Amino acid sequence: MSEVDMAVIKPEMMKSYIWLQTADGSIQQVEQEVAMFCPLICQEVIQKGMGSSKNYAISLPQRVNPAMLSLILDYCRFHQVPGSSNKERKSFDEKFIRMDTKRLCELTSAADSLQLKPLVDLTSRALARIIEGKTPEEIREIFHLPDDLTEEEKLEPLKNTTDDPRIRLLNRLYAKKRKELKEREKLKNVESEEERVDERSVDDLLQFINGGERDSKGTKSSKNKKKNQRKKDQLKDTCPIESIKTDKQESNGLNFVCHSAEVGNKFSTDLGETSNMQNMEDGIFVRKVDFDDVDIDDEIDPALKEKLDREVEDFARRLNSDWPERMQEILSLGHDMKPLRHSTKGNGTIRRYAKDQIRSGNDFVPSDQPNGWNNFDQMLTEGVCGIYRSSKGTKFLQASLALLSKLVPACLEGKFSSFKH
Amino acid sequence: MDITFVLPAQCISYIISLTTPRDASRLSLACPAFKSTADSDSVWEKFLPSDYKEIISNSSSISASSLMITSLSKKDLYFYLCHNPILINNHTTSFSLVQETGKKCYMVGARVLSIAWGDSPQYWNWLSLREFRFPEVVKLREVWWFEIIARIETRILSFKTNYAAYLVFKFVKSRQGFDARPIEFDVYFEGSNNHKRRSALLDPPTNVSPQLSQDRGDGWTEIEMGDFFNENGDDGTVVCRLCEPGSVQKRGIITQGIELRPKYGK
Repeated sequence: MSEVDMAVIKPEMMKSYIWLQTADGSIQQVEQEVAMFCPLICQEVIQKGMGSSKNYAISLPQRVNPAMLSLILDYCRFHQVPGSSNKERKSFDEKFIRMDTKRLCELTSAADSLQLKPLVDLTSRALARIIEGKTPEEIREIFHLPDDLTEEEKLEPLKNTTDDPRIRLLNRLYAKKRKELKEREKLKNVESEEERVDERSVDDLLQFINGGERDSKGTKSSKNKKKNQRKKDQLKDTCPIESIKTDKQESNGLNFVCHSAEVGNKFSTDLGETSNMQNMEDGIFVRKVDFDDVDIDDEIDPALKEKLDREVEDFARRLNSDWPERMQEILSLGHDMKPLRHSTKGNGTIRRYAKDQIRSGNDFVPSDQPNGWNNFDQMLTEGVCGIYRSSKGTKFLQASLALLSKLVPACLEGKFSSFKH
Repeated sequence: MDITFVLPAQCISYIISLTTPRDASRLSLACPAFKSTADSDSVWEKFLPSDYKEIISNSSSISASSLMITSLSKKDLYFYLCHNPILINNHTTSFSLVQETGKKCYMVGARVLSIAWGDSPQYWNWLSLREFRFPEVVKLREVWWFEIIARIETRILSFKTNYAAYLVFKFVKSRQGFDARPIEFDVYFEGSNNHKRRSALLDPPTNVSPQLSQDRGDGWTEIEMGDFFNENGDDGTVVCRLCEPGSVQKRGIITQGIELRPKYGK
């Protein structure tokens, strides 16, 4: 053999190879030091002794297809070489991740399944950079996501924590759109619906609120049940998907809401301070659950009936706006509530809540009916509304709520007599 | 391609945690699958400061702190801390987060400031009013040597952040002494000689510019005392000092504290 020939027999001939099999069945051999850069492959070789021959090829996870495998091996091949400087590595990495988003995602997934953390980091950061600053529509475009949030979900009011007037306006538009949606739904159901008129007198309402001995369970008639069910259906149709569907769930939801509302309340009143308002609310809460299917066939004078009807429609609209977001609002309301913590008046707390909800532009559309009900603190209603949102009960209940929210501050301020009607 | 079929949830959540809180909030509107991941605790826990549990447990109200940690989702906790400063260290310091970035923000209350002659009632009085953030604020009756110092450990601040110190105060109607002589401000690392001093009038007459005091929007005014870059929290204590050595009698300033918060763009 000449010298040249001898030189040709290079150490590479002595390299060992690992056999890898991808999910599609194809098998290839890879230089050992390159493949061992992947922790998963390393584990298989060392712990289980796999990969030494074609028959004992290491089965790679399903997420690693041959194209991705070759990319990953390119990465490993470069990085396992000890000599390169940081600058060289960085420059390689930057060139390496220049690929379309789909491949980046697949690569991230493949690297993750092989537990190759440096590559996962690299690709994840690249994807994060792609995502940053994009609107939801742009994101859907980039990732070819189906636009399957419901109309309602999309029209959720934006969290306006900075009191941005543009967001306030947007939320008002959303509220209008939601209202339109609801009208449309209502029109669909209008044939099967008879308008139920709440005919209770004011005194009866008062009595009810003050804990009159009506046994709801006993007076359940099938006729009422049906009407109530229809009412619920009507309201249900326009609610977002995550809304609570059954009575049982409603009670649980209410309890959760009560607890969360308390949590929210607690925060704002600097914990430990239980306001009178809260206690009253808790009492009301329980009663409401009990009287869900109450009989509503009582007499009421027509003038009040008109008034109630209007208010109740308004209420229903407000109540139907999205609950979780309201909860978020309540919990995250902060910058407007700084002086709040040490307020001693219970109703003061709720007023501020409500005021701040308005200020933060959370879909409040003022109703423009000129009557006594609007003289009361509408903002108070908003706050109470938010907490009792899950009541999709009868009009009567809603009316009583409206009445209540007027009563409570009146009581607390000792102006009960002002409510004589 | 539906990304949720390609990438497992933990990958998506890792990627989202590398973006900003604002992006995560936006992502939850993109599609239902993203919504659940983008709102998840695993993402928002990364936006909270790494020692948030420690800080909250150190809060002055034990019931609140345990409630916060256990019953709020991390996302709710994040937004809560952004808008509701919590009191720590026995009601003397307040802690909150900056919404955009999740960086930490502290206000050192008047009680733990070093105020020259602060304990002498003939010079400074301590007030308690329920609307205040801290149980006490301090009001100047009269003094010649006006000096207030705040010290804070850099290791509790967010790393790789440019912080500025602000004096939070307000004037009473009958104040005097702050319109003619400027106050010297100095913010520096204790033990270093690198002082970037500045001086400003706290109460300049209305026609004189620059009007450096800013209205905070909560009834208090603030003025920037200086800034510094916190690299890794290993610069020891940062000292924020203001002083007016006594040429003129001063009266009528109420100090709530000195706030340290991140400052962006010079």
